[in-house]
Order: sequence, then structure tokens, then C-alpha cells
Amino acid sequence: MNQRFFDRHRIAEIAVYLAFIAVVLAMPAFIDEFTLNRFSKYLVYGMLGIAIALSWGYAGILNLGQGLFFGLGAYMVATSLKLQSYTSLQQGSDTPVPDFMLWNAQPGAPTDLCCITDGSFLWLPFQAQWFGIAMAIVLPTLVAFLVGSAIFRLRISGVYVAIITLALVLLVRPLIIEFQPVTNGFNGLTDLGWLTFGGFEFDPYLVETYYVIAIPTVLVLLGARWLVATRAGLILQATRDDANRARYLGFSVAAYQVFFFSVSAAIAGFAGMLYVVASEFASPTFMDIAFSISMLVWAAVGGRRSLLGACIGAILINSISAAASETEMLQEAWKAILGLIFILGVLFLPRGLAGLGHDFIEWLPLGRRGATRPQNGNAGSEPAE
Amino acid sequence: MAESALTIDGITVSFDGFKAVDGVSMVIEDGELRVLIGANGAGKTTLMDLISGKTKSTDGTVYLFDEDITNKQEFEIARAGIGRKFQIPSVFRDLTVRENLSVAATPSPNVSRNLGFGLPADARDKLGEIIELTALGDVLSKRAGDLSHGQVQWLELGMIIVQNARVILLDEPTAGMTQGETRKTSEIINRLKGQHTILVVEHDMSFVREIAEKITVMHLGKVLAEGPIADIEANAAVRAAYLGKGGIH
Amino acid sequence: MADTIFIGLSLASILLLVALGLTITYGAMGVINMAHGELVMIGAYTAVMAAIYLKLNMILAIPLAFLVAAGLGLLIERLVIRHLYGRILDTLLATWGISLLLQQAIRLEFGLSFINIHVEGLGSGLQNLSVPEFLNQAYDLGGFTVQPYRSFIIVVTIALAALTWFLMYKTRIGIQVRAIMRNPQMAAAFGIDVRQVSALTFAYGSGLAGVAGVMLAGFKTVSPDMGSSLVVDGFLVVVMGGVGSLLGSAAAAGLLGEINGIIAMVTNDIFARAVVFALVIAVIMWRPNGLFSFKGR
Repeated sequence: MNQRFFDRHRIAEIAVYLAFIAVVLAMPAFIDEFTLNRFSKYLVYGMLGIAIALSWGYAGILNLGQGLFFGLGAYMVATSLKLQSYTSLQQGSDTPVPDFMLWNAQPGAPTDLCCITDGSFLWLPFQAQWFGIAMAIVLPTLVAFLVGSAIFRLRISGVYVAIITLALVLLVRPLIIEFQPVTNGFNGLTDLGWLTFGGFEFDPYLVETYYVIAIPTVLVLLGARWLVATRAGLILQATRDDANRARYLGFSVAAYQVFFFSVSAAIAGFAGMLYVVASEFASPTFMDIAFSISMLVWAAVGGRRSLLGACIGAILINSISAAASETEMLQEAWKAILGLIFILGVLFLPRGLAGLGHDFIEWLPLGRRGATRPQNGNAGSEPAE
Repeated sequence: MAESALTIDGITVSFDGFKAVDGVSMVIEDGELRVLIGANGAGKTTLMDLISGKTKSTDGTVYLFDEDITNKQEFEIARAGIGRKFQIPSVFRDLTVRENLSVAATPSPNVSRNLGFGLPADARDKLGEIIELTALGDVLSKRAGDLSHGQVQWLELGMIIVQNARVILLDEPTAGMTQGETRKTSEIINRLKGQHTILVVEHDMSFVREIAEKITVMHLGKVLAEGPIADIEANAAVRAAYLGKGGIH
Repeated sequence: MADTIFIGLSLASILLLVALGLTITYGAMGVINMAHGELVMIGAYTAVMAAIYLKLNMILAIPLAFLVAAGLGLLIERLVIRHLYGRILDTLLATWGISLLLQQAIRLEFGLSFINIHVEGLGSGLQNLSVPEFLNQAYDLGGFTVQPYRSFIIVVTIALAALTWFLMYKTRIGIQVRAIMRNPQMAAAFGIDVRQVSALTFAYGSGLAGVAGVMLAGFKTVSPDMGSSLVVDGFLVVVMGGVGSLLGSAAAAGLLGEINGIIAMVTNDIFARAVVFALVIAVIMWRPNGLFSFKGR
């Protein structure tokens, strides 16, 4: 057992994890508050990369609508934070009322959250910040659980899951825009208050706020890594490779898929919540198809079957994007380069950066070789359709 | 007389009016090894599909010991104690041999009970036995997809044994094997006799002679004959329907 | 009511126009071509450029756009898709990269804008295509106002669908394509040049996207990102109709177009789209293989 546990790939993996965690936690020592705030957003994208690797790489579920869960998480917490904004407190009412509701209100409607617009009462429980935070994780998980139960029990797989998740986010996005009196439509929720705990306000440009995002990212990374290493994680990968074989061994494939699909959604919802803390807005653009597909790009570049790879892929691509967007010309060129990277990556590097790392470790002349199985699987053998 | 492990009573399935399996009944005793033979299209594989839940029957019942498992879902039937090996071997190709066997040896199917690491001691012991039985010890950290054809077959067989199936269905376990591989497979199956109840579909008659105790012959979806191998080889109806062209060979 | 049905029909014909190429590339070849919308966009730009530089009117631009998009499709097949057959989800990802490249190629005027050369008709701005006079005049037919341009789209869509049907079911190459659809190895064993036929099929599907682009350019502004939302609609139509079924795609496009039209009339456009997506989900869950289906590769 020991020989297997401490082969060179295992040692390299532990080293890379430790290095990553050290860099993330030490980051405030190296960069200013403004850059730190930007970096905290990339960490959130990294968390999305983890969510994608979990569902796509480990469960074989290609979710083209991960933005739905991210968006739901973002909106839930933004609702609470909107009520903590100064403008919401200054609408001439004893209780906070969001400014846009006043603009949308029917003439003569009472200036109170209960009935200022149709559906404004839905905001009432969000006056408690903990409720918004809880819902940011509970709602995406619940939606994923219900949707997952429906599709996986019907044994829908592969492309059809991709199309359903795509249609789902396309379905929800216009509804959010449509219910303007409750969601502020196209504009999304802006002018938010700060997350507040015990009187401490988490201004997005504080180092403390960075840790509010960085520490959960590290915990999610380790938690997900733990999850895929458990028996359940192994069985999940088995269902990905051959669902029927797993069934004839007595495993309810749907139960495993629903569980991990929901976990992936919970992580995405959590990421959405942290994004709002860092960026102070929630917008329907979170549910744009292009954003959901971008997440797949990050994960694919980093390595779809490596949690840390997908996480680093997300951070890397977003850092470069941001650097490139300094000038408009460069930004446009970068988009083209990104397209090219993606094509070449799929063609020549299907296991992403993580695969490259694995091959490098394998190549190192260090005495005995490790296990022959690639740590991050063989991405070429995608589950058939 | 031993207890009956698998009792099939009048099982029938019709696809758009065509009865692929038509009122088949048979009783397999606990610990028995039964061989199912018949020409192509006789309904052997369909019968296995009906037992294991892949195909839903239109009539009839299947009992595993005292439990009615008719038309339950595949994983429920598997949990009840039926293991199945497919004609085209199916293993988890991207996992290592050890991981394949570990998945099969996992005692509880529930997600919530599997949020831990490793296997309990008895499952580990069983795993060791199976690795020895199937002689896969040297390739434990190899990807299952990189194994030879014979090794994949033994791995699948090993997974079914380690899952603790009380009744094992084997669909042409020697298909595509070399003579040497076939011999090893029959050794494995012979060692399982008595511990597991086994139903084998097989074409290769020399292999059947090596392992068979009792044979059931199917023809056009029905049971044509049943008995010890000598009786079957002498049976006129079997010769006429199935072995007409030159007898059993 | 007749107006509503007509609008629904017109929406349906646009959906089908976009989906037609996808029924070929996705249905027949198992390639999820996310760049299909960009091929539509390229078709639209071809018409715009042809009008500026060649003084071609839009009807003459149709065959030109077909050729340009088909040529580009052939190139994409040769360079990228060819290496990805059988890895359906990877085709989705790689072609998404292609879609980014194509959009940027137009936006950056094939890179010329870096050296400050600007090409009229390209760039990130909006372009317009003028429609021939006779397609612009609405006329009255027994109390029912006929929109000539929308009618023209419907006619072109029907003609292309009929042509595609003819090619697929009545010609030698169509039989080969359908053989490859069902079993590529077997088709190869029977002496069909799978690579050649696949490449031509992909080019044909891409060419159809080019034609769709010209038709869209007639009533929508042309911009580099005009294609990105089209591809999703197209896929929903193809999957809902049943992969590889031309009839299914036509039926699904008709159904979605009419439902969209009618609900948009009763409520609004946004709500109508939400209903359409809900319907697509319901159909896929009820019949994962689509309304019309067969078992393919």
C-alpha cells in the first residue's frame, strides 16, 4: 500500500497543492489592495474551475449551464447586501427598500418591502444577511438536485445533458430580466452594501476580505480533493467510465450523479456569493452562455480531470485576459489567441496543463517509475456520447 | 435437495409481437453450475437480460431464493445478489485494475456510506483472494483499458465474484479467447463451483464439457431440453432442432 | 390570427435555415459545431462585401456566400474536425475556439487593423445590407398584408430543405453519407471514402450556414457577434427534432417558431423564449432521442 501511496506522482501532487496554497495565502504580502481585489475574483473563477472539473472530469457530466448556479448564488447574497446599502436605507421608510423598487413602483404603492412592487415581499427574509448567505448555497444545490434527479433518473447522458443544462440557463436568464420589479432586470443588482460580521464591514479592498475569499477557495479545493479520493469518488469515476457496469455491480448511477452534480452546483453557488463580495454587483450576464462556456475553457486548459489544474487554468487565463485588456487592441487580439489556444489545446493537449505536468514528472529521471496510469486520466477516452 | 437459488417461472418477453423468450421456466439450485446452450437467436442472452433487469419482461416471474426480483431495476437486482458478465467485456477502462476491483468490493452501495477511504478488512481479504484467483497481481496499477483481452475478461469475472453475487450470469466467457486463456477461464470457473451459483451461456462445446454438470437447451425462445450432458447429446429433439448439421462439436 | 401564424412561420423558417446546416454537420457527422453561427455571420459579411466591392445584389450574393462558407467549412474540417471524430464533446470545445477566431478575424479586419488599415465592410461596427426593391414593398392579398421579404425567406428555406432532402435521399453521395451516419467502419469496409465524403458533407452544411447568413443580413444588422446566439437555437431545433432527421428538424422548427410567435403575441418576446426553452427541455426529457429518431453512431 505504501509503495502506491508515495509514488512520485503522489509526492509531486502534494508538493503542487502545498505550493499553490502557500502562494494564495501569502499573496497579500506581494501585491497592493487593488490588485489583490482583482486576484480574489480570479480565485473565485478558480473555484468555478474546480466545480467544472468535478462534474465534467470526474462525473462525466458536461454542464453547459454552470453559470446558472453561479448566478443564483450571486443574486441570493446580492439581495441581502442590497438591503444593507446606504441608498436602500434612505428611501423614506423605517425598513430598507432598494432604490430600483421605488422606480418600478406603481403610483401610490406603500414604500415598504412588503408590497412596494409585485413580488417585493420575496425580499423580506433577505433582511437577515445570514439568510442571503445560506440561500446562496441552498438554492443552487436544490435546483441542481431537482434537475439532476429528473435527468439522471431518466438516464439522460452526454450531449443531451449538455443541451438540457444549456436550455435551462437560457430559460432562467430571460426570466430574471423579465421580473424587473424584483431583480432590477438587465441592470442587475448594483450599489450593494458590504458583507458585515460582528460590526466588521468587509470592504472589498481590504486584506481581510481577500481572506474571506482565499480561505474558502483553499477549503473547497481540499474538500473536493478529499471527495474524489473517497470510495464514493472512485465509484463516481466508475459510473463515468461505464454506467452499465456500475449498475450491474449494484450502484445506483443516478444517485452518484445527482450527488456530485449537486456538490458542483453548491461550489458554483458559493463562488457566485464570493464574487459578489469582491465585485459588489450581481448581473444577468453571469448567466450568459459565453460565460458558462468560458468556464469549460478554463477547466480544459488547466486539465479537466485535475481539480487543481482546472483551478489554476481559470486563474491563469483570467490573469492574462486582465493583463491583455489594458489596451483595447490587445484585448481583441487576446480573444483570438484564446480561441487558438483552445483549438490547439483540444487537439494536442487534451489533458491540459495538468497532463503536461504529469508527463513531465513521469519523464524526470528519478529512479523507479510511478504508476502507469496518468494521474489525471486519459481525456482522449471521453465517455461515449 | 438443495435450496433453489434462481427460480424462473414462465418468463416471457415480446418485442412488437415477436416473443424472443416465450414462457421459459427453470430452477437452478444453490451452488449449481448450469450451462445454457442454443443456436443464435434462441433467446439465451435475452433470458440473461430478463434476469438481470436489462430487459423488462411482459409475463412471468424471477425469484432469487425467496425474493421476487422480476422487472426491478438493474442495480436493485445486482444488490439482491445477481452478478453479470457481458459478452463484450465491460470494465472501468480509465481506472486501474485495483480500482476496478475496489469499486466492485465496496460493501455498501450508498453515496453517504462511501464518504470514507479504503475497504473494511473482510472486503480486503476477499480482494486478495480474487487477485490470486484471477492472477492479476502483476497488473494491479495498470489501466484496465490497457489490459489484454483475456485479462479484461478475468478482471470482469473477478469484479463479479468480489461483489459477492450469489448467482453469477456469464455470457460467453471464452468468446475471442485463445486456447490457453480458455483453459485458465475454465479453471477459474471450476474453482467457483459450489461457492456460487452460476449460469453460463456458451457456444464452445469443448469448454462446456469441461465445466458443465447440467445443461439447458433453448430453441426459438423456449426450453427444448434439460439434463446432464450425456442425455442432451443423445436427445433426438435437440439433434433435430439445433445440432442437426453434424451433432455437437 | 393569420398574421400571428405568418410571423410564427417566418420565425420557424429562420430557425430551420440555421438548423439545416446543423442537421448535416451534427446529425450526419456527430460534430457539435459551435462555429456554425459564425459561418452564418461569414455568409452575411460575404453579402455585405459583395455589395460594396462587386456591386452584387443580395440574390446574386447567395451562391457566393455558399461557396465562401463551404470553403471555410472544408478548411475547418481538414484542420480541426478531422482529428476529433468520435469525440463529440471535444468538437464542441474546439469549434468554440474557432468561433472566437472567426469573430475576431472580422472584428480585427483579418489583423489589418493592427497596422491601421481599415477595410470598409469589416471591423467591429454594424453593417447593413440593402434588399432589392421588389422584396421591400408590402402588398395586400385579400385583406392580408404579405411581407415580401419574410415570404422570400420562407421560400428559400423550403427550397434549401427540399434540395438537402434530395441530396441526402436521392443521390449516390447522399446514400454514402447516410451509410456513414449509421456505421462509419462498415461504410469504409464497403469502399466508401469516409474522409472525403465527411469533408464534403461538412462543407455542404457550412455552405448552408452561409446562405442563412445572407438571408439574415436582409433584415438584421450584421455584426461580428450576430452568430453566437443562433447556434444555440439551431442545436435546440436539431436535438428536439431528432438527431439526423431532416423532417424532425423541420417539424421542431415549425413548432418552436409558431409557439414563440403565438406566446410572444399574448405576452412578450422574453417570456416566449423562456417557454420555448422549457418546451425543449420537456421534449428531450420525454424523448431523449427527439421527436423523430433512429439509432446512429
